[in-house]
Amino acid sequence: MKLSTASEAISFLRELEEKAAKFYEELSQRYPEGKDVFLSFAKENRKYFNQIQRAYYSVITDAIEGCFAFDLETDDYALDMHLTEDTSYHSAVTKALALEETTIQFYDIAAGQSMSLLADVPRNFKIVARKRKDRIQKLKSLV
Amino acid sequence: MAVLEEPIKGIPMAKNYIGGEWVESQGEIIDVVNPATCEVIGRVGISTKEEIESAVRAAQEAFYDWRRTPAVTRCRYLFRLGQLLEENFEEVSRIQTQEHGKCIDESRGETRRGIENVEVACGIPTLMMGDSSEDIASGIDEYLIRQPLGTFGIIAPFNFPFMIPLWSAPYAVATGNTIVIKPSPEVPFSQTRLCELVEEAGFPPGVWNMVHGGKTVVNCMLDHPHIKGITFVGSTPVMRNVIYPGCGNTGKRCIAQGGAANIIVIMPDCNVEATIPALMTSFFGNTGQRCLSGQTLVIVGDDDTFYSEFMERVTARAALIVVGYGLDESVQMGPVRDAQKKEKILSYIDIGMKEGAKLRLDGKKPTKIVGDYPETCFLGPTILENVDREMRIVREEIFGPTMGVIRAKDLEEAIEICNESPYHNGHAIFTSNGKYARQFQYDVISGNVGINIGIVAPMAFYPFSGMEGSFLGILHTQGKEAVRFFTESKVCIHRWF
Repeated sequence: MKLSTASEAISFLRELEEKAAKFYEELSQRYPEGKDVFLSFAKENRKYFNQIQRAYYSVITDAIEGCFAFDLETDDYALDMHLTEDTSYHSAVTKALALEETTIQFYDIAAGQSMSLLADVPRNFKIVARKRKDRIQKLKSLV
Repeated sequence: MAVLEEPIKGIPMAKNYIGGEWVESQGEIIDVVNPATCEVIGRVGISTKEEIESAVRAAQEAFYDWRRTPAVTRCRYLFRLGQLLEENFEEVSRIQTQEHGKCIDESRGETRRGIENVEVACGIPTLMMGDSSEDIASGIDEYLIRQPLGTFGIIAPFNFPFMIPLWSAPYAVATGNTIVIKPSPEVPFSQTRLCELVEEAGFPPGVWNMVHGGKTVVNCMLDHPHIKGITFVGSTPVMRNVIYPGCGNTGKRCIAQGGAANIIVIMPDCNVEATIPALMTSFFGNTGQRCLSGQTLVIVGDDDTFYSEFMERVTARAALIVVGYGLDESVQMGPVRDAQKKEKILSYIDIGMKEGAKLRLDGKKPTKIVGDYPETCFLGPTILENVDREMRIVREEIFGPTMGVIRAKDLEEAIEICNESPYHNGHAIFTSNGKYARQFQYDVISGNVGINIGIVAPMAFYPFSGMEGSFLGILHTQGKEAVRFFTESKVCIHRWF
């Protein structure tokens, strides 16, 4: 599905981060060896969404191109977060790595497309993308 | 994406808020209709002369204590109101969409703009400071203090049901005046919710009043000896024939903001990629129902290739605009407010075509309405080419999602077209050339001038300007000019023997 308005992009991000947070919570329950890291990621995911939403609500005005800000395709950010009973720890972390790479891509592209939403929104997209990149190393170190 | 939940449930009655009490009007009761769904979402009373008089009396009675309340204390009520508006941001925004029809992004933008005015007015202890001079003559000092005047009337239009009263109200009460707001009866619930938050913020009874209604309320405000001034936003004929002379006859202060038919000038050196979304917002945002919307696009130069490629891209982008109920997050253009307004817009499209314009994009009937909604108030974006500067679709306010396109040989001609318009609210230019931009800014007659900005909406700390057919008065709403409007300058000269 195509996303054009700021409102639907923000709602999509909420779903993305909430699904990711639940995925990490599940990982924390199933794999005690990475529990602390996964739980901290889940908490951060919700924090990141709130950070973006706050920026959006702070700068949205009727005079800027909020309804025409984005050109995103939701299929590009489909995440495989399905865990079967026999999913190994290694496979689960590999899924998490893929999730992070896809999400970083979303934040990077959204930052580029949201320049018309004044400085705060793209800046916060970039900040989150940068922080998410740190996760890649952490996840790699887990395996 | 989902359709967001509607905040107005059942069929509530929008009551008046007078002297801190919620009072149902004894006047005629009319339905409030959601223009997207065509469902009745509430009712509102058309208040009587006695009801507006009762509100003015309450405001007048509250004035004595309120003006004696220190400015720092008065602005604490506004801090609380600002906080409550933040807490209820989403609900307030969705009410606007439900009663007016605009998209949710636009409503949130309107809410933010309204809150910004509350925030600016919170600086009233500084903004209201006077001036002083020592020794204007030997041993004589002179100073100026700003004092509130009494009760003000605020008359609002339908197109920004939440924000426009906030161009005036926070400054009026922060400076120590009391107010009576008359919202448009088409969209009474945004101001009703605002008044509920005013009440929750603890404003003393009578400081902030609201009376729903129509002509009776307006006429009574104009005639009333205890109303010291009026701020009005609405149509130019009402501004010119009713509000401004009405205030003049009774010696009231007046800020009267009228209509517009804004012109957007495109230079061939503009950044096309960035310009096109700005044009979509300018011409089709808020379904064209705002006094800063673009109405005429003037493309400068004789480069036929630039013209045809530019228009191809504009048309292609406009054709893709998603039309539907504004609470559907994918929607980029909502309905117009009612079927009569739609008819008026359609008649202007016909007039344009009869006068020789050619339909490049036909929005008379939207190609698709997202969701299962009646077509009653919906239009698609319309683009008319071959438009001439003399045509009525250039010179009169359409207030709908239409774009008339004119070609001009050079910037001078484009500025001439802007300056011969009867309206001068928000003309704009898109260019990458600083010299063109400066020349446009310097020569164009326009209260608000946009350089690569399609909607020239001033921030709360700047006046919402406007000239000639778009404005009558001297001072404007918002910011320091509003503070001047709502205060009397009293000059004191002291000598002590």
